[in-house]
Amino acid sequence: MLSLLIALPLLGTLIVALLPEKHGRLTGRAIAFTVAILSFVWSVLLGFKFDAELTSLQFVENLPWIAQLGLSYRLGLDGLSLPLVVLNGLLTWIAVYSTDPDIQRPRLYYSLILLLNAGVVGAFLSHNLLLFFLFYELELIPLYFLIGIWGGARRGYAATKFLIYTAFSGVLILAGFLGVVWLSGADSFEYNPALAASLPLSSQFLLLGTLLVGFGIKIPLVPFHTWLPDAHVEASTPVSVLLAGVLLKLGTYGLLRFNQGLFPEAWAIAAPYLATWAVVSVLYGAFTAIAQKDMKKMVAYSSIGHMGFILLAAAAATPLSNLGAMFQMVSHGLISALLFLLVGVVYKKTGTRDITVLRGLLNPERGLPLIGSLMIAGVMASAGIPGMMGFISEFLVFRGSFPVFPVQTLLSMVGTGLTAVYLLLLVNRTFFGRLPDQFSNLPRVEWRDRIPGIILTVLIILWGLQPSWLVHWSETTLTAMLTGPGAIATTPLVTPSTTSPKTSLKVL
Amino acid sequence: MNMVSTRDRITSEHPLASLIYRIEEGGALLPESPDNVVEVVGILKSYGHVLDAYWQNLVYIADHQFLELFPFFKYFNGDVSTKKLLRHWWHDRINYEFAEYCMKAMLYHGGGGLDSYLDSPEFTQRAQAAGQAKLKGNFLMSGVTKAFPGFLPEQIRQLCYYSALGQFWEVMSSMFLVLSDRYDRGEIHSINDVVQHVKNGLVEAASKPITYTVMIDGKPYDIIPKSAGLTFLMDTAVPYVEAVFFRSFPFMGTVSYNAQAQQISPEPERFNYGALYADPLPVGGAGIPPTLLMQDMRHYLPDYLHEFYQHSLRGEEDLRVHICISFQKSMFCVTTAAILGLMPHPVDTTDPQERQTNRTYLEGWMNRLVDSRLVSLQDCGV
Amino acid sequence: MDQFLFDTCWWIPCYGLLGAILTLPWSTGLVRQTGPRPAAYFNLFMTVVAFLHGLFVFRATLGHESQEFIIHWLKAADLDLSLALEVSPVSMGAAELVTGLSLLAQFFALGYMEKDWALARFFALMGFFEAAMSGLALSDSLFLTYALLEMLTLSTYLLVGFWYAQPLVVTAARDAFLTKRVGDVLLLMGVVALASMAGSLNFNDLYEWAETAELNPVVSALLGLALIAGPIGKCAQFPLHLWLDEAMEGPNPASILRNSVVVACGAYVLLKLQPILVLSPVASTALVVLGTMTAIGASLVAIAQIDIKRALAHSTSAYLGLVFIAIGTQWTNFAFYILFAHAIAKALLFMSTGAVIVTTSTQDITEMGGLWSRMPATTTAYLVGSAGLISLLPLGGFWAMREGVNIYWVDAPWLVVVIFLVNALTALNLTRVFRLVFLGQPQPKTRRAPEVPWMMAIPLVSLSVITLLVPVMLQGLSFLPSWDYFNWQTALPLVLSGAAGCLVGSTIYLNRTWARPIQAPLKFIQDLLAYDFYVQRLYEVTVVWLVSTVSRVSAWFDRYVLDGFVNLVGFVSIFSGESLKYSISGQSQFYLLTILIGVSIFGALLTFVLH
Repeated sequence: MLSLLIALPLLGTLIVALLPEKHGRLTGRAIAFTVAILSFVWSVLLGFKFDAELTSLQFVENLPWIAQLGLSYRLGLDGLSLPLVVLNGLLTWIAVYSTDPDIQRPRLYYSLILLLNAGVVGAFLSHNLLLFFLFYELELIPLYFLIGIWGGARRGYAATKFLIYTAFSGVLILAGFLGVVWLSGADSFEYNPALAASLPLSSQFLLLGTLLVGFGIKIPLVPFHTWLPDAHVEASTPVSVLLAGVLLKLGTYGLLRFNQGLFPEAWAIAAPYLATWAVVSVLYGAFTAIAQKDMKKMVAYSSIGHMGFILLAAAAATPLSNLGAMFQMVSHGLISALLFLLVGVVYKKTGTRDITVLRGLLNPERGLPLIGSLMIAGVMASAGIPGMMGFISEFLVFRGSFPVFPVQTLLSMVGTGLTAVYLLLLVNRTFFGRLPDQFSNLPRVEWRDRIPGIILTVLIILWGLQPSWLVHWSETTLTAMLTGPGAIATTPLVTPSTTSPKTSLKVL
Repeated sequence: MNMVSTRDRITSEHPLASLIYRIEEGGALLPESPDNVVEVVGILKSYGHVLDAYWQNLVYIADHQFLELFPFFKYFNGDVSTKKLLRHWWHDRINYEFAEYCMKAMLYHGGGGLDSYLDSPEFTQRAQAAGQAKLKGNFLMSGVTKAFPGFLPEQIRQLCYYSALGQFWEVMSSMFLVLSDRYDRGEIHSINDVVQHVKNGLVEAASKPITYTVMIDGKPYDIIPKSAGLTFLMDTAVPYVEAVFFRSFPFMGTVSYNAQAQQISPEPERFNYGALYADPLPVGGAGIPPTLLMQDMRHYLPDYLHEFYQHSLRGEEDLRVHICISFQKSMFCVTTAAILGLMPHPVDTTDPQERQTNRTYLEGWMNRLVDSRLVSLQDCGV
Repeated sequence: MDQFLFDTCWWIPCYGLLGAILTLPWSTGLVRQTGPRPAAYFNLFMTVVAFLHGLFVFRATLGHESQEFIIHWLKAADLDLSLALEVSPVSMGAAELVTGLSLLAQFFALGYMEKDWALARFFALMGFFEAAMSGLALSDSLFLTYALLEMLTLSTYLLVGFWYAQPLVVTAARDAFLTKRVGDVLLLMGVVALASMAGSLNFNDLYEWAETAELNPVVSALLGLALIAGPIGKCAQFPLHLWLDEAMEGPNPASILRNSVVVACGAYVLLKLQPILVLSPVASTALVVLGTMTAIGASLVAIAQIDIKRALAHSTSAYLGLVFIAIGTQWTNFAFYILFAHAIAKALLFMSTGAVIVTTSTQDITEMGGLWSRMPATTTAYLVGSAGLISLLPLGGFWAMREGVNIYWVDAPWLVVVIFLVNALTALNLTRVFRLVFLGQPQPKTRRAPEVPWMMAIPLVSLSVITLLVPVMLQGLSFLPSWDYFNWQTALPLVLSGAAGCLVGSTIYLNRTWARPIQAPLKFIQDLLAYDFYVQRLYEVTVVWLVSTVSRVSAWFDRYVLDGFVNLVGFVSIFSGESLKYSISGQSQFYLLTILIGVSIFGALLTFVLH
């Protein structure tokens, strides 16, 4: 069942790559499109069959592979991976759909996109450390080429930077995994939350640190983030969508699964520092975004800030905050994908992303009015306006983290305020005002440019109004992660006084 | 511009000197080009149709909705049916609001004999008589008019403008439709032909009297009698050009009304928001009243013009902007006709004294057109 | 049927939302052949339905205990977010005020905006606005209230930004959003903290919690201040008040609502929070201090305005300042009276203003004059609105202020002085505006000024009648004291303060050309007031400067220090030079190379493990 999610895109990759050259453009696109839709639909079907009440892994597949290495092909789905798998399917489909049909070297492009999809799904499904690492590395290579071949003017620089950073992240992750298995004396790389429980605290810290940096690069957390703005600026729109929407989630997924999950004890001790680190990431991302002139760079820095919320929530490690982290992953995935898509349309039509140059694009006849309206929706969602997904995810994060880290949570909330500042400036500068004469003859906006944005906006609003539909998938798993063997024991500083009415606050 | 002859001419220091020369040599404000002819004639045809609807409604309101407090059906021209009501509610109709907008611009900016007549004792007396006849037996309104003596006369002044603008547009509408017919018959080949047609039309109607009589209880009341001596050209056409082509009102969508920001001139005569000045780009957006006119005209575009627009980058999507640009082109042709019609001496005079007078007259016009859209229309299509 | 209407009272906010959604085909430009008016009619119809439905429920609630509806929305871990609605005479009355004024404002907009092709978008926003406000009136959960307040912020942004191509609108919309957002984020901090401490966000649970909670004084002070920050922004109180002035760039029908019920929504939230604010004496003091500062400051600023909308908008801030004082001193009745009387009278004044603007095409009162005899409905509306606002017996403003004067007469006489001052200054301002706009000789822009058409005249006249009926309504709800208890000792000075204001206003010399005073001190004061005490400059040199400096520094740091360091370390610079060009032309070799490197590292590590 789960293997199909990996096999389908891999098969698609092969077929597209082996197509005769003259069929690449149309047939290649059609195949990629079909495969993307099929795996998306399949993931949604799995979601319906998924039993949200169960704490255990579901649809497990376990095949021995290289026993000597402790490598087995072990896949499973739980509430943490399911939403991300579905998100990956959706965004891959959107990426294929929004690709320019006249793209250069279509066969290579589409097969790389599908390969990327396979790698990411594999990583989310793996329950063997080594297998996870293999997929994690597998995803790196197509993305490198996608940036390096179809990117902007400095694509080589950006792609190489991305490759080196992520390869380094991979090495650290591998080292961490090897260390865990090696030190704990386990006989295989099978994922088991209790794997590191027996280790002395010092080794736990060492391994946790290694993995944190490894995943921290991918998320990315300040100061390991400098590859991201470059990669986004140079990547083409569909690749940016995948990068922000799904790829970064591998980092936060790792944070929850392999850091918080494997080293609960060390995690609980490190948590205050992690929360502070999160605050730095949030504020740094937000402030740096304010000073950006390039729309894409601004959205990229906003991603850095928003990913910081996930670290905050993960650090707090309460059932609610973990749920918030999960929700934030999905909502950031959809919202940043939407923003990158729309920026992409603006860039395609006007030839620039400079907010000091663009003006008045809301003009109903000659501008991009619908794109502008969607942009306002996306911006408001990102700034956490209620009624959309961004609000409820941030609320869950804050509400979940506040009892544990009140000060850090409050400081992070300043970050949401700042998000409104830069994104509003972006919308105000580029879409309001009079359309300048230099942009008075923009090409027509096709429905193909609009549909992905509309779909994402509808989803963002839908889940913003009905978050329970998403929450119920993940709640059991995330709660179990914190109550299972060796669960984290962070102590709330603030407790509801309904349980003990006389509690007086000693914080602040 | 090959028509420029090399005969000796006095040079002009005016920034729009080239246009002055062109008019002196028999040309128009709008450069001559085949595309311009298609656009101007085509748009004047649809404008003619729209004006036809506008004038009928204006005259209907003036004559049949006289001092009605709640004129629910004022846009129905007396033909109220469920079907029409539903279409009206669905907004599948001519935007008569724009006709009223132009009427208000004329009322606001005044000028001409009509304006001074409305301030005369004769008007006050006639308005009083009609008003009293209309409100006979309506004690509430009689009370209001006693407490607020300016109310009724001001409403009737507005109705006079309804009627006057209606009568003006009646002439213009048929003039434009005849132009289109002549074009279809192959009689119009150039911008000059268009200007000539409009000019002849204006001259022909110049002394047509403007009057306004309203029937109350079967009894006619003259509000503007023929004896007031108001005529088509000087008392409606000229104030119309001034109020609608030049001044108009600041658009809420582009100009701030904030008093402290001082974006609007305190003197209405310095307003320059009229049809010749308006920026066509924001048309279709919020707070741009001419959108209504462009929207009305889109329904009457002749096929050849519609097809012409389809070849543009955005096709149907920015139709109203295209219509607006063509409309401004055509209005510059009408302005040319007005300039020629009002010229102190014939344009082809050889008397140096007369040519000098003409030159001064033209420079006066050009001063006002310096900031208009005219300059931006010069380079296209030539 | 009755029970059905009662049980479905949560539809009342939904009608406006539904109307807004129905406008989508027009507002998104899908319908191009026909005009946008059906969208406007849908919204009007929905508002009528909401009003009638609300009216029914309101009548049913009179004399009954309040009832609570709870809709469970999100239950996750220890969090139980429910959308609680309170159905009580007060909440339904507030919802009725919102839908009623919204109905009149939308009707007015049919005339005011008749030449605006973006009518559908305007009505969609009005529907959204109305939905958020009536939801706020019914909300009985701080969570829902917060969410709706943010929706109001959003819709204010969109409504102020309605004429998005106009340069001043661009900055006005931005400032309105960001100023309110500052308050909202602080409020969110309070909400999150409160949720964690009290365990629930329904007001009833919060009240219960507040009765027994013992908080550290610092915590309670911070909590209280965070909670009042949102309403400070919403009610345009110092220091978050400037947006209201700028928001006057928006269309007038939206200003009608903004100056009457939108600002009142902020105060309504504050009223809801009042039992919790009791926990924090600091917050209560802050309310009184800020309220007093705004009440007097804004009244003074209003007098120096030459823009007709702004002259009235600043007085809105002043009246909301009185509400803040009332809530800060725990006199919620006084707050409710002021809100009610002010909302109706101010809405009427703004309608009258709209009629003037649409007729004269200007907002500069120094360019107006002599309108009264030609515009009966507009003039009457202005007079009635003014009378309803100041303490003119027996209209609403009098009863509201009388309540305050009675309350503070003994305990806090200086607050009585504040009320007298606001009353007198408002009277002065309204008289001044009346003289400039309606009296005197016609000016070029008011030379021809026919009364507005019926679409605008009907709401003008109706609301004038309603304003005159406010005392009757108050009587009907038995809010008025009986004559036996009527205290002439307090009422007389109040009426006299208003009369004094009118007297001064009608005698001072008004300069139509707005020539500058010659004496330096006068000129200074005039500028100081006209430019709102230069608070804008204050923002610029503090908050705005701080944020932009920090952001520039961090961007510089990111670009040159962090990224520069990475490049210096050299991984990237090795590849970024000549080898890049190589990678583009002869890709395949380079790809192979990269894959090889990756695989070999992996292999090497694996071998390492095996041994």
